[in-house]
Amino acid sequence: MAKTINRYFQLLSSSRDVKPSARLWDPAADIYTAPDGWLVKVELAGVSAEDIEIEIADSCLTLSGTRRDRVAERGVSYHRMEITYSRFEKTIQFPKSIEGASVETSFDNGLFLVRVRK
Amino acid sequence: MPSDKNQDLNYSKPRPGQEFDIAVLPLQNTTLFPDTVVPLAVGRERSSKAVEAALSTEEKLLACFTIRTPDVTGSDAKPSDIYEIGSIVNIKRMMRNEGIMQLVVQGMERIRVIDWLQGEPFIKAKVQILPDLRMVDKEECEALRRNLQTMIHEALAKLPNVPPEIRMSVMSQNDPVQLSYFLASVLDLGVETEQKMLEASTVDDLLSLTHAALARELEIMELRSKIATEAQTEIDRAQREYILRQQLKAIQKELGEDESGEKADAVKMRERLETADLPEDVRKEAERELRRMEQLPQAAPDYHVIRTYLEYILDLPWRKSSIEKLDLKEAERILNEDHYGLEDVKKRILESLAVVKLRPDSKSPIILFVGPPGVGKTSLGRSIARSLGREFDRISLGGMRDEAELRGHRRTYIGAMPGRIIQTLRRVGFNNPVMMLDEIDKLGNDYRGDPGSALLEILDPQQNHTFRDHYLDLPFDLSKVFFIATANQLGPIPMPLRDRMEIIQIAGYSDQEKLHIARQYLIPRQITENGLQEKHLAIKDDAVNLLTSRYTREAGVRQLERAVGNIARKIALKVAEGDERKVSISAKDVKSYLGAPRFYPEEARQQLPAGVATGMAWTEMGGDVLFIEATLLPGGQGLTLTGQLGDVMKESATAARSYLWSHATEFGIDPDAINKNAIHLHVPAGAIPKDGPSAGVTMASAMASLLSGKKVRSDTAMTGEITLSGLVFPVGGIKEKVLAAHRAGIKRIILPERNEADIDEIPEDVRKELEIIKARYISDVLKAALESEVTPGRMEEYRAPRKAKKPSAKVAPAIHK
Repeated sequence: MAKTINRYFQLLSSSRDVKPSARLWDPAADIYTAPDGWLVKVELAGVSAEDIEIEIADSCLTLSGTRRDRVAERGVSYHRMEITYSRFEKTIQFPKSIEGASVETSFDNGLFLVRVRK
Repeated sequence: MPSDKNQDLNYSKPRPGQEFDIAVLPLQNTTLFPDTVVPLAVGRERSSKAVEAALSTEEKLLACFTIRTPDVTGSDAKPSDIYEIGSIVNIKRMMRNEGIMQLVVQGMERIRVIDWLQGEPFIKAKVQILPDLRMVDKEECEALRRNLQTMIHEALAKLPNVPPEIRMSVMSQNDPVQLSYFLASVLDLGVETEQKMLEASTVDDLLSLTHAALARELEIMELRSKIATEAQTEIDRAQREYILRQQLKAIQKELGEDESGEKADAVKMRERLETADLPEDVRKEAERELRRMEQLPQAAPDYHVIRTYLEYILDLPWRKSSIEKLDLKEAERILNEDHYGLEDVKKRILESLAVVKLRPDSKSPIILFVGPPGVGKTSLGRSIARSLGREFDRISLGGMRDEAELRGHRRTYIGAMPGRIIQTLRRVGFNNPVMMLDEIDKLGNDYRGDPGSALLEILDPQQNHTFRDHYLDLPFDLSKVFFIATANQLGPIPMPLRDRMEIIQIAGYSDQEKLHIARQYLIPRQITENGLQEKHLAIKDDAVNLLTSRYTREAGVRQLERAVGNIARKIALKVAEGDERKVSISAKDVKSYLGAPRFYPEEARQQLPAGVATGMAWTEMGGDVLFIEATLLPGGQGLTLTGQLGDVMKESATAARSYLWSHATEFGIDPDAINKNAIHLHVPAGAIPKDGPSAGVTMASAMASLLSGKKVRSDTAMTGEITLSGLVFPVGGIKEKVLAAHRAGIKRIILPERNEADIDEIPEDVRKELEIIKARYISDVLKAALESEVTPGRMEEYRAPRKAKKPSAKVAPAIHK
């Protein structure tokens, strides 16, 4: 019986390998505490700096934007695609409000750095 | 910010109502929902081109719409075949594999087609992003969401192997819209339902649709698990049985019972089948059954059924005939040796055998012996078999009432057996035996069945070469079988059956013949059977005659043999006690052995009063004499008949009376005697039913005697049918009747003239002692039967009651005229 139901389940899910998902690409981020505040490092390789928007509300820092495929040359076509090109939105919550803090951003080898200084 | 001037708009900040141009991928049997990640395989050219176009954009966006009609494929779908609401998706991964693009896409937003822009090389459309779902009734939505969550719980409980991460993410999903979309894409709900859910514009609608769909799925799951449980139970039982059987086999092997097991059985059967001489179609059938048997375990109920069946087939003499040694001289010798007398019968048997000899392949004749019990019908059959050198077996049909007894039961019935015919052939072992069907006149025939009809087939040479027994269900050739039937009476045998047989009548034996039979067969046989020797016992002829006349009354010799046996047993007792002296039994000794005579010769009322006549009757036991008594009832009217008379007999009594009435003066009868008085006619013995026209002359004589006052001669017996015009018609059974009358001591016999031919059948020794008078008219009968003198007596009074006061002498002249 277990087998039957197993098969049934596979019928349901395996054949249509659907996963629940957040709406958007969720880039990975590291968060450091620094003597003068916070350092946030986000994997945003291939996203141009002008495509990234930063928003601060209370204790939340939200990064959003879109990674676009801008490297593609004329006349090429995909053989394989593994990089996600999509809009993203990353919200980082800090222990306390960071409103009014100064924010400084930079790119370092594809990593987007956000310094939050109180 | 890049401008919107190229076709791939800036989707970074999607706004409801935003419009843009986009490549379209039509989907078959799948609906893509926002917030779900789905793998897709794209192989068709037009679809691939649409995906390529999407991949060449910066944001890898593609519009997915579901095809409305199920039998239209992605490559030839026209805009009219496609739903107008779909999803915009982001292609997250792409791999090429043997010309097929495998994609992982993520649903983003719901969109609506505003305009179809192109159909080739791929479909392109202007689409508009649809607004987010509105929530109309917050409480209801919450209730529905919680309900959904409960149902998901239930469903997950039934699905133990769901990966934990899916379990987690489903359970933690609190957004009702996302939850619904996920469920919709997980469950296989069908394109229509899925599309409806995609098109739902309020959370309320979406949730209730999801709720209904999930409830249905749950029900199906429950049903499935129930069916699965039941199937499992069934399998478990079969498995258990199998295991037990295997164990049983092992035990049997341990006990050394395996040798007689199914294999050995079937192997033996096959060996026999291969060496047996069978017709082709029989062999085929047997092979088929044997193959079935080989596949069955010995414990199967069918196994033994098939085994018995096969044994029957192998045992039957399909082609085995006994070698015939037919020598007519030898046959005659055997018949004479076994039977005394019966010359006619023997002659006819020899004639039949002659035909068999001249044409060995001709259909065997079917002979029917008709005669009273104990005349040797069965032993004649045995003699025929002996003279033909064939096997002999008999089937008693007496009281048989079921057709299946002759023709077998179908094999579907438990305990089914072949019919008696096939059983007999198996027992005999040859296909050309002499088969005696005894007592064919006593076949039962009522609502329970009619075996006589089955006999019609068996006894018809045209049909019986493919006789099909129900059990065998294979044609067996009965045409080589020599059938002999016996019966006591012809009457009860149905016409069509009688028609198929050559009828040989065997009448009874005369006393003289019985004496010969006793001397030659019965006495020697009884002496041996009772363990005696010739030196112990001799029975003299006068003793035998006494036995036949006073201790037995029969046409055959069975009772006679029993009486002889009785005497022999008493002698055997004496010998066993040590007294070995020879006992010679003569007539005067019989009484001391058998007691007083049981019968008095039906002679023979020495003096018959007027109104009584002696008739002769035919019975199953042979013949008999009977007395017909008539008496006058003064002043009465009509005719009273008693003695269990049948209709025919009653009618001939009436005819006799009418004839006498109309010819009264001719026979010296006063018409007034008939007119003014009733007549009562009685035929003893009253307990025995009687019928037939042959007592006509006797009744006429009795009445004539009564009315005329002339006695019927007591040494005279008569038979014959009468007509109203005074003719005497011939009747049957002359030989038996005459023999009986002779036994009874009658000296004169009146027979119809037209029975002259039958007189030759009467044994010579009997004929010599009788005066036979042939009558053509009733007047001949009366002339021969009645005494010429009027016997004075009370009858005088009855004859003329009207003139009783006058001197009776005056009446007399009229009578004497």
